Amino acid sequence: MTNDYQEFQRHFGRYLRDPRRCQRPPGIPARAAAVYSELLFNNVCGFLDACFPVCRELLGESRWRRLNRSFYRDWPLHTPWFREIPREFARYLAGAGIKPPLPAWLAELAHYEWVELAVEAMDAPIPDHDPEGNLLQKPVVVNPACRVLTYAWPVHRIGVVYRPRKPLLTYLAVHRAADDTVRFSELNAVTARLLALLSAAPITGLAALQQIADELEHPSPHQLIAFGSELLLQLRRQGILLGSQLTACPIGITDSSG
Amino acid sequence: MAALRSAGGAGLGFRRELIPALKAGVPSAVSFFELAPENWAGIGGRWGKDLRYFSERHRFVCHGLSLSLGGLAPLDTALLRRIRSFMAEHGITLYTEHLSWCSDDSHLYDLLPIPMTADAVRWTADRIRQAQDILDMRIGIENPSYYVSPPGAELTESEFITAIATEADCLLHLDVNNVYVNSRNFSFDPLAFIDALPLERTAYVHVAGHYVEPDGLIVDTHGADVIDPVWGLLAAAYERIGGEVPTCLERDFNFPDLGCLAVEVETIARLQAAAPVITRRAA
Repeated sequence: MTNDYQEFQRHFGRYLRDPRRCQRPPGIPARAAAVYSELLFNNVCGFLDACFPVCRELLGESRWRRLNRSFYRDWPLHTPWFREIPREFARYLAGAGIKPPLPAWLAELAHYEWVELAVEAMDAPIPDHDPEGNLLQKPVVVNPACRVLTYAWPVHRIGVVYRPRKPLLTYLAVHRAADDTVRFSELNAVTARLLALLSAAPITGLAALQQIADELEHPSPHQLIAFGSELLLQLRRQGILLGSQLTACPIGITDSSG
Repeated sequence: MAALRSAGGAGLGFRRELIPALKAGVPSAVSFFELAPENWAGIGGRWGKDLRYFSERHRFVCHGLSLSLGGLAPLDTALLRRIRSFMAEHGITLYTEHLSWCSDDSHLYDLLPIPMTADAVRWTADRIRQAQDILDMRIGIENPSYYVSPPGAELTESEFITAIATEADCLLHLDVNNVYVNSRNFSFDPLAFIDALPLERTAYVHVAGHYVEPDGLIVDTHGADVIDPVWGLLAAAYERIGGEVPTCLERDFNFPDLGCLAVEVETIARLQAAAPVITRRAA
């Protein structure tokens, strides 16, 4: 069944995404069309401006708005959640093969700016854990509101006074601390690998460090483990690690003598 | 959990910008809050804690933005299921959406008027029924503001709303500011329009401020104080439906002090108290 009224909706939708190049639908006065195209685009820009202040500043207003427009025009937006519009913008920059030349680091910078928003609001309840537990000997509990990120560019340093020309492999952790503020930490490659292993499956700190020593073919694994045990404590102080898993009480051994 | 949950009273839109002031004290006139589930469902961290703090102490109403009742893509049942669990989490028992569309195959993120045809009545009413099945409750549909009357209309707006509400057997969410805005932009009598709506189905009411463009076009911004003619329409609506219907002040940006908003919420409560008792037959 084809419905003429739905053809109007499709036409109006095309117009609203691209009012400069698309004819407005018959029967829509210019004034009303302009009101709508402005309202809708400003609405989307509001979400993007709030999430990407650094990208916006570095591109300059007119390039930024052109990029906002091509995003709204070209990128299919299937999420009903407004907070996911910035995620889609970061995906658009990474995946859309955009024509106008953009800084090589822009997609990663946008991703990094989006992660801050995502970590701040992610629904990641704190699991049970022992905050004092032995991180080497017991399975480690990683803060679920934490993202460990690998970028080709030093995105955390990019700003008006620093626009890198050469890539620099960069590891970062973005996590939500106990006071609900978002914290950023630069990591080295070993720490990033350690966090990746601890996040992938519940394993002890020792097992993770031994695996890293194997992967590196480290000449003296004991040194790495000694270094790593300090590292685990530091990550716990930062709130990136929460502690160790609680030891389940084996049935029948609990003291019930009162 | 706040006592469940007799309707009624005057409410205020729950916005992040207002939370610090609300933590210092919720004005006594505010008997419930309204939120958009699209902004709050699935939120953790400090915003999630804030919402939990208030929903444990106050009644909330859900007013949706993204369901696209008149949209073209299949109804977003995943969104509806998420809204259903969100409402259960926070003890929310009323959900309303706009009688509009905000997506074709992809989202546009704002509300657009549905062409008022008989086909659109069937299409939209069918989607409302689907939504009601998933949420397991009747939902309210809000008369939207609009700046263009889509071509090809076969019904007047009040006929269109009435036909859909009847066919879907849903509730009416009456936005008196939208009635006012449209009546000015399209030169019709707002009271005659209200009288032609299926008022016996009214479950919820909105009042808000708007913006007048230099050329006189009124834009429904929710960014200004409510003006007297809109208060007048609210009072007139209460004369017809009674003052028992929960009514929310919408304010989405350009926030004044909470005290200023409280005065407007008090005005709602005062008009509700002054309204005649209307015995409404069950819709």
